Amino acid sequence: MATEFHNLQELRHSASLANKVFIQRDYSEGTTCRFQTKFPSELESRIEQTLFEDTVKTLNNYYAEAEKIGGQSYVEGCLACFTAYLIFLCMETRYEKVLKKIAKYIQEQNEKIYAPRGLLLTDPIERGMRVVEISIYEDRGSSGSSSGSSSVSGSTTR
Amino acid sequence: MPGGSDTLKPSAFIPVCTAACLLVGSTSLYFVFTCPWLAVTICPAVPPCSAIIFLFVLANFTMATFMDAGVLPMGDEDEDKDDEFRAPLYKNVEVKGVQVRMKWCASCHFYRPPRCSHCSVCDRCVEDFDHHCPWVNNCIGRRNYRYFFLFLLSLTVHMIGVFTFGLIYILHHMDDLWALHCTVTLVVVSISGLFLIPVLGLTGFHFYLVSRGRTTNEQVTGKFQGGVNPFTRGCCNNLEYLVCSPIPPKYTARPCKKTVIHLQPPFLRLEIERKKQIKVRDNGIQSRDKVAVESSNVKQLKTPPPLPPKPDHEAISRGSSPIPPEKVTFILTLAQFHFRVILIKPLPYINVFSYVAQLLKTSDNQDNNKGPNHCLESKESPVRSSHQPGMLFQPPLHTSMVPGPLQHNSLTLNSRSLTLKNSGRYGSKSQLPAMHVDGLGCNPPPGIIANPSLIANHGSSSLSYDNLMHPADPQLIMQRGVPPVSYHPHFMTVGTDGPVLRKSPQAYSPVFVGITRQSPHLQDSLRDLLPPDATPPRSAAARYDNFSKTIMASFHERRELEERDRILRLQARSHALYGDMGIYDIPCRRSLPPDNNRPPGSRGPTPPAYGSREFLMSTGILGYGMRSAPLSSSSTSSLTRGPKTIGSPLQSSSSSSLQTRGRSSSPGYCPTERPNPSLASSTSTIPRLSSSTASSATPHTSYATMKRSSLQYSSERKDSVTHGAPK
Repeated sequence: MATEFHNLQELRHSASLANKVFIQRDYSEGTTCRFQTKFPSELESRIEQTLFEDTVKTLNNYYAEAEKIGGQSYVEGCLACFTAYLIFLCMETRYEKVLKKIAKYIQEQNEKIYAPRGLLLTDPIERGMRVVEISIYEDRGSSGSSSGSSSVSGSTTR
Repeated sequence: MPGGSDTLKPSAFIPVCTAACLLVGSTSLYFVFTCPWLAVTICPAVPPCSAIIFLFVLANFTMATFMDAGVLPMGDEDEDKDDEFRAPLYKNVEVKGVQVRMKWCASCHFYRPPRCSHCSVCDRCVEDFDHHCPWVNNCIGRRNYRYFFLFLLSLTVHMIGVFTFGLIYILHHMDDLWALHCTVTLVVVSISGLFLIPVLGLTGFHFYLVSRGRTTNEQVTGKFQGGVNPFTRGCCNNLEYLVCSPIPPKYTARPCKKTVIHLQPPFLRLEIERKKQIKVRDNGIQSRDKVAVESSNVKQLKTPPPLPPKPDHEAISRGSSPIPPEKVTFILTLAQFHFRVILIKPLPYINVFSYVAQLLKTSDNQDNNKGPNHCLESKESPVRSSHQPGMLFQPPLHTSMVPGPLQHNSLTLNSRSLTLKNSGRYGSKSQLPAMHVDGLGCNPPPGIIANPSLIANHGSSSLSYDNLMHPADPQLIMQRGVPPVSYHPHFMTVGTDGPVLRKSPQAYSPVFVGITRQSPHLQDSLRDLLPPDATPPRSAAARYDNFSKTIMASFHERRELEERDRILRLQARSHALYGDMGIYDIPCRRSLPPDNNRPPGSRGPTPPAYGSREFLMSTGILGYGMRSAPLSSSSTSSLTRGPKTIGSPLQSSSSSSLQTRGRSSSPGYCPTERPNPSLASSTSTIPRLSSSTASSATPHTSYATMKRSSLQYSSERKDSVTHGAPK
């Protein structure tokens, strides 16, 4: 693996983490999970505003769906009560299911939109749902060192 | 377990162990010794029900003890890289209209979200922190508050049941009290009775908290004692949220699945170079690079990039003593600030920019051709030499020039220019340049002067000039053979806003910001525009300094005059519209319908200040904001309708602009404010003076209005400064 990259070093550019932008929570409607859709100035040259806003709005919609008090949450609560909460050992809560969907969405966004632009979204759950972290990577130019292309591991929840 | 470790202190487990032992032990004894008799004597369903309730208690107790309360993971160091030393301790955030403070948590390295608090026992921030319960040895927070509450509830029910049935048992075995069964039941009843009181109290307390939508922490710290709790959803919804809301996920120790994303440069970039440059140009004086960038933003520009300052300096100083570049820059900076203020609020009828630009251009041409002292001389004397007209403007300009006394003072020039301006708006572009032949020497604003003169020397600068005026006068451009000047960027910056200027055929009068558009009395008002009072010293630097002061003074005077004119016109108009009170016409209240209930002592139709300049200006400036004193609610409501009936965008827009300005710029105004809920919000500035204080209202009004006028000036100054500040 290293040798593969080694031959291509001269042709490859390497990316390095330049900056991180934090999209803060929008508390204007209480403690329900929403993120601000304000377009950060650091991303102005990196990504279109509409794409960014779409991402954040979709995330907000996901979280709103997860936190919705409705039929499914009633059923879950009653079931949990009657089984003395043993149901949690077997079943995944609705919130966790939505979190999985969010993780998949974020990965898809990263692969399709953000990574080609040198950006990386981090799942807010890793930050306690306080911020959406966007890492900005810069092209350091082709390097002769052994770094090669950079692969960034994004950790997502199972 | 070993003691002394941070997280595992033996002493912390004592309460929870005690609670667990008491609970399980007592209940077990109850089931063993009491329940058989109960099942037989009272009802066979008693033991199963008790068992179910006890199971519920245990489950909730377990969940409350072992469930993560919503502990927030610590912040990354990247998050607070800017925050460590310079960040404020608190950040304010608005939650449903209520300001909530977020405190910086030094341990966890983030600003605590609303309702989040740091638990000193657990040494972590917990979301929706309620309290740290020693009986479960756990924080109670967002994720486990439900289980804690249900634990309390079920424990209360269970304890009441145990106490009641035990008592029944004892009462039935009074004669055999010292038998084993009885003794044990007695002990169980005592324990349950003893702990029932505090548990019942705690349950009732939490019921109260839930109904109010507060946490224990908020209740104990008195956060929402007197104010509004933005987190409550109403009693029923709070209960529903408590019981039925989805369980939030755990933030810490999540099972992670690592996915690899490849970042392969080169990355896509947006083509927003221009945008960047626009942003950069906020304080465009700073560097040539920025200036060059700015210039590229101007659509009409085909100019070469501006030259370094030195040539400008030389150009300026050709006929005058050298000006240190820094000084010129400073002056230009000031001018630019004023320009920026101007540009924000374009006005239709006075193109001061064009006027001044013309003046400067003329003076520059004068400089070029007439020698160093020309400008000074012309500036000194309002009376222009007659050779001025013969100045450097090309025939096209001359032909378009209004013939007539290229008079000698700026006043005449001004009026002519204004007449031309008014007549042509943007149509008479060729006329515009011709206008300023005369008055150029009379105290033009320093920066403006400097720039256009410099610009005049420069082909590229002429473009900025053109931006101001109109799409260029090629003749003008061609005439200038002087080496380009780099200060024009500032001018160009202004001119770069030219598109803004251009779009509105209105003028960009800095002086008359916020004042209504039409001014038929331009000629009159402009007569006072540039009072030739300054005696410029010989040095160019000093000249520029004087220009700045004089220009500001002249601007203010001109503005006052315009205010007065406008108010007079509006009064005339409002008089014409009977009963339709002009916004600016307090005295016309005498024309109010007679059924208006004017409170006694309210200001009559002829307040003493009526007719005074400050009063008129203030009434005009304040719109109908200041008309509160003598007005009753009915009159103010009709006053509210006034602008609408008039229906002129002039008044409504100018009144709104004035209102805004008034609101923002008048601390002297504020003390006189009184709430008057009867008025619509659009007229919220109106009822500042209650009718009950009518007698004192007049001096208040006068004071406030005078203060407001002065404050407006000062605010405009401030605006100009702040606009010029680097953003």
